[in-house]
Amino acid sequence: MSSRATTLARPEPEPTEKATALSLERVSKLFVLQHERPRSFQELWVALMKGRGAGSRERFWALRDVSFDVKQGETLGIVGRNGSGKSTLLRLIARTMRPTEGRVVIAGRVMPLLELGAGFHEELSGSDNVYLNASLLGVPHSVVEARYRDIVEFAELEHFMDTPIKHYSSGMYLRLGFAIGVHLDFDILLVDELLAVGDAEFQRKCVDRIRAVRDAGATILLVSHVAEQVATLCDRAVWLDGGRVCRFGPAKEVVAAYLESSAS
Amino acid sequence: MYDSRRHLHRFRANQESPSLNLVQDVHRYPPPVVVWGPSGNWFGSFLKRPAELYRYRELLGNQVARDLKARYRGTALGFFWCLLNPLLTTAILTLLFTVLMRGASIPNFAAFALIGVLAWNWHATALVAGINSITSQSNLMAKAYFPREVLPLSAVLSNGLNFLFALPTAIVLLVFSGVPIGWALLLLPFVFVIQAALSAGFALLLATANVFYRDTSIIMESLLLAWFFLTPIFYRPQDLFPQYERLMYILNPVASVIAMYRDLLYSGSVPDPLFVLRSGAQALVLLLVGWALFARFADRFVEEL
Repeated sequence: MSSRATTLARPEPEPTEKATALSLERVSKLFVLQHERPRSFQELWVALMKGRGAGSRERFWALRDVSFDVKQGETLGIVGRNGSGKSTLLRLIARTMRPTEGRVVIAGRVMPLLELGAGFHEELSGSDNVYLNASLLGVPHSVVEARYRDIVEFAELEHFMDTPIKHYSSGMYLRLGFAIGVHLDFDILLVDELLAVGDAEFQRKCVDRIRAVRDAGATILLVSHVAEQVATLCDRAVWLDGGRVCRFGPAKEVVAAYLESSAS
Repeated sequence: MYDSRRHLHRFRANQESPSLNLVQDVHRYPPPVVVWGPSGNWFGSFLKRPAELYRYRELLGNQVARDLKARYRGTALGFFWCLLNPLLTTAILTLLFTVLMRGASIPNFAAFALIGVLAWNWHATALVAGINSITSQSNLMAKAYFPREVLPLSAVLSNGLNFLFALPTAIVLLVFSGVPIGWALLLLPFVFVIQAALSAGFALLLATANVFYRDTSIIMESLLLAWFFLTPIFYRPQDLFPQYERLMYILNPVASVIAMYRDLLYSGSVPDPLFVLRSGAQALVLLLVGWALFARFADRFVEEL
């Protein structure tokens, strides 16, 4: 773990008590878009000759002062327009980026279903890629072995596991990526745009799977453009607007308010 | 990240419902708590990095296996290429320097050159793969958290394994060509570790630079050719600038590594302990500098790419 990240052993909680799985404390994320930042030595030279090294900068707060808690076993929906910071929020929780201010406290193993098609190696077979992808998510070989059959069955790729993955269609990529994620061990599941995965039938299967995972006690964060999905699947929801929390509460209320505002 | 005690429930769950064995015992084993804040003091984070890398050793191993598998998949000769390639280069060098230019006075030239070529190939391939390891795999880094060192280091190690695969056959060939090989061979692992540290240092340093200035990889392509000719691969260190031999070893650590391999595999002698110590220290300093720079900027990789 790097920098301020520390691992602590927690005392055993009461099984009945709902512990906090995830806590965001005044989290902000600043992106500095350096439009004229020198990208090569040539540009750097030109910039230096003109007497300005850094180029013009545009500061953009993707998230501002976001605070909320998610209880263990809770399903939280995240709604908002494009560019409201939904994906950035998931990335901070997945630890692929660090917050600029504030902190995220994560109690449990996070399974990020982000960039589903990524992390595969084109030349290798489907089965090699299952193990590779799982190790990228920090899951040991022995565990994947025990789940392998379930993963392949869920992705409906029984006859393609020895085929190099470069021959897969984009739908097959996503199906495999999703299947790997939801069959491994985790406490907190991050889902970005469930509806991007496969055809209507497979999507139904994914939603069923999410429900099953939820009923088994996992904590889920679900980003979706389809507000109805959030209303039916989630307990609570957060509505992000311009990187700030616009509303946080029971999913149905938040979704209704969000739909009302986007309709007007 | 992963609690091995949880493996137990897999057997239990498999008997009941094979596809729903995710989180039954969350309450029994409290999960580790991670605090994820802004990148703080980079030096503090640098000190914790080796331990974090060790936790992800299985990923490192898998990345190395992936590199090797992907390289030889679909090739007719497969792993033989890791030896055939240097042999071809050596054959060409031998032809040039013993037949065309009869002035060459190095005894057993083929053996002499093969050692240099093998070591150089590892260095050059590791560097090329290492420089691009971060820029070409931004999708991996956007997908999940893992110590980013895994990417450049797996490039160095997979090419190191290539070198190791070629070594036994190369040693047999060397013995047949009359090289006196003895117990000094047992010191090979030391030289291997020194070269690995050296390549890792270069790879970490250059991979970081390449994220911010893509020229790095282009410049290195041409620099590597010059570097090849300035390294005593097909000539002796004292042949180029006799009075500056020491300086050459200092400026070009690859020359020191090749000199040590040659002591062990060509002259059958033990390298000067002071020389080994100095080369080792040099490699270690390079590794630390490269890693420190990498640690300083690793948090920005995903945003810059």
